[in-house]
Amino acid sequence: MTETIGKTKLTFTVNGRETEVLVDPSWTLLRVLRESLGLTGTKRGCEEGDCGLCTVIMEDRAVDSCLVMALQAQGKTVETIEGMGHEHALHPLQKAFIEEGAVQCGFCTPGMIMSSEALLRQNTHPTVEEIKVGLSGNLCRCTGYTKIFKAVAKGSESGGRL
Amino acid sequence: MNIDEFSCVGKSVPKVDALSKVLGTARYAEDIKMSNMLYGKVLRAGVPHAVIEELDVSSARAMGGVACVLTARDVPGINRYGIAFADHYALAEDKVRYAGDPVALVAAETEEIAAEAIKAIKVKYRLLPVVSDLHEALAEGADRVHDERENLILHSKTRKGNIQEGFRKADVIVEETYTTQTVDHVYMETESGVAHIDETGMLVIQSANQCPFRDRRQVAMVLGIRENQVRVIKAVTGGAFGGKDDVTVEVHLALLAMATKRPVRLVMSREESLVSQSKRHPIEIWSRWGATKEGKLCAMEGRVYGDSGPYIGLGAFVVKKCGIHLSGPYYIPNLKVDSYSVYTNNTFNSAMRGFGVTQAAVAHESQIDRLASKLGINPLRFRLINALDVGLTNATGQKCDESVGIKPTLEILRQVVLKDPELKNMWEDLD
Repeated sequence: MTETIGKTKLTFTVNGRETEVLVDPSWTLLRVLRESLGLTGTKRGCEEGDCGLCTVIMEDRAVDSCLVMALQAQGKTVETIEGMGHEHALHPLQKAFIEEGAVQCGFCTPGMIMSSEALLRQNTHPTVEEIKVGLSGNLCRCTGYTKIFKAVAKGSESGGRL
Repeated sequence: MNIDEFSCVGKSVPKVDALSKVLGTARYAEDIKMSNMLYGKVLRAGVPHAVIEELDVSSARAMGGVACVLTARDVPGINRYGIAFADHYALAEDKVRYAGDPVALVAAETEEIAAEAIKAIKVKYRLLPVVSDLHEALAEGADRVHDERENLILHSKTRKGNIQEGFRKADVIVEETYTTQTVDHVYMETESGVAHIDETGMLVIQSANQCPFRDRRQVAMVLGIRENQVRVIKAVTGGAFGGKDDVTVEVHLALLAMATKRPVRLVMSREESLVSQSKRHPIEIWSRWGATKEGKLCAMEGRVYGDSGPYIGLGAFVVKKCGIHLSGPYYIPNLKVDSYSVYTNNTFNSAMRGFGVTQAAVAHESQIDRLASKLGINPLRFRLINALDVGLTNATGQKCDESVGIKPTLEILRQVVLKDPELKNMWEDLD
């Protein structure tokens, strides 16, 4: 679509890169990330802030990107799962999620990792209780929570010593 | 073969697709975007049982950006599908049978236009009495969900031994009715897919599904084309748990892609998924169990009524299986179980984790506890006395000849209880 009528320019930093995109003011950050920027690692689940699939980090805080209007990200720094690591340079959380078997259908995984990363930036040595609170906004229906909590502990600076 | 000789069995191996999932590069159906792609949307009935008196799609068709609007009249093949029995309408014809019934399809240039076009479709319904109670559905002269068929879908019988003789031996009898409720799978990924026609003319559907070949067969029937003209690809799927066993978006995607000859993406909102897609059956179980004063089960009788909603899906098998498993992992020499799967105007129910056995467990475990309490026997001991074992026969008369796990499992549980002083106090009579 080349249509520009009714659209507004959004300038923000996505995964460390200055990004400019024309957005419909009614679009959410989730939709712009997925549909305009092709960053489909961020998942859509409920679109009302319940499931946490669409969690990204904005200005160092975990947010549900379905509840953030795209233009609220104007001038802000946004990080998505695509900015976390690469195949040959995995983020410690990504490595831990694989090693602990914390990935099943995988649909909640990007949101889980982003919430975990936001938690670990605030708290480098979380207890299991603190991990549970940090991930309380993220649902997993394969019900693999125990392994996810273990993976977060392993991916933290404590290396899994809880 | 020794366990150490296996390369995978008994070892921890990394999941093959874990890497792409932690990187966010795994491509789920909704992540697929094709050039020139249209956005599909389905108009759902919103009423549980009604005759469609008027269906006017003219203003929706006339809207700018709308590529097509389809109703039952536009279905080129047979307007029905189903895994076991073709009673599921691709698009409603003369009437709707539950709130999630699809009435019309739209494909448009944007999601917004598709949503506007759906709103512009005018439907006039004449409401019919709603068949929602299982017993009313089975009563003589009941309103029918499908005019040409009774509401009883399938009556299956499980028989073993002689229950009259069995109950004569019983010192205690417990009789009770249990009901379970509708449960949604709530897989994190809603039903979604993308369809297009490839360079060879093949209709290609990439969707979140569980059985691509079964979907292909059903799609071909509705489109009136050969199966080898359809290719269904199971995209990386964000949870299914039985809920994507039946067709979800595939038939509608196929109709839209064939009508427009363009790629189409169809993604359900969470609300649409909850209203229209299959659920776990609510089941009513009446059951009567007898045991001797020594704690031996001697007879069981049961009646199972399962609510399939307006379509069979895998429902008849789910309810049949509930009946077969009503004796649980216990040996009962004499039993008689009748199970009935029933059409209603409630939500469509089909496969979900456990496939009917989950509902049976509610009844058999409750019955076991009640009998144990009446007999004054510790419930864990009562289970150990009656657990299936090698050499015994299950409800259908099949002899268990190896690896029956219930007794060793209960034994481990008993050891755990015995080691814990607090639990041990609560549970007397376990030594």
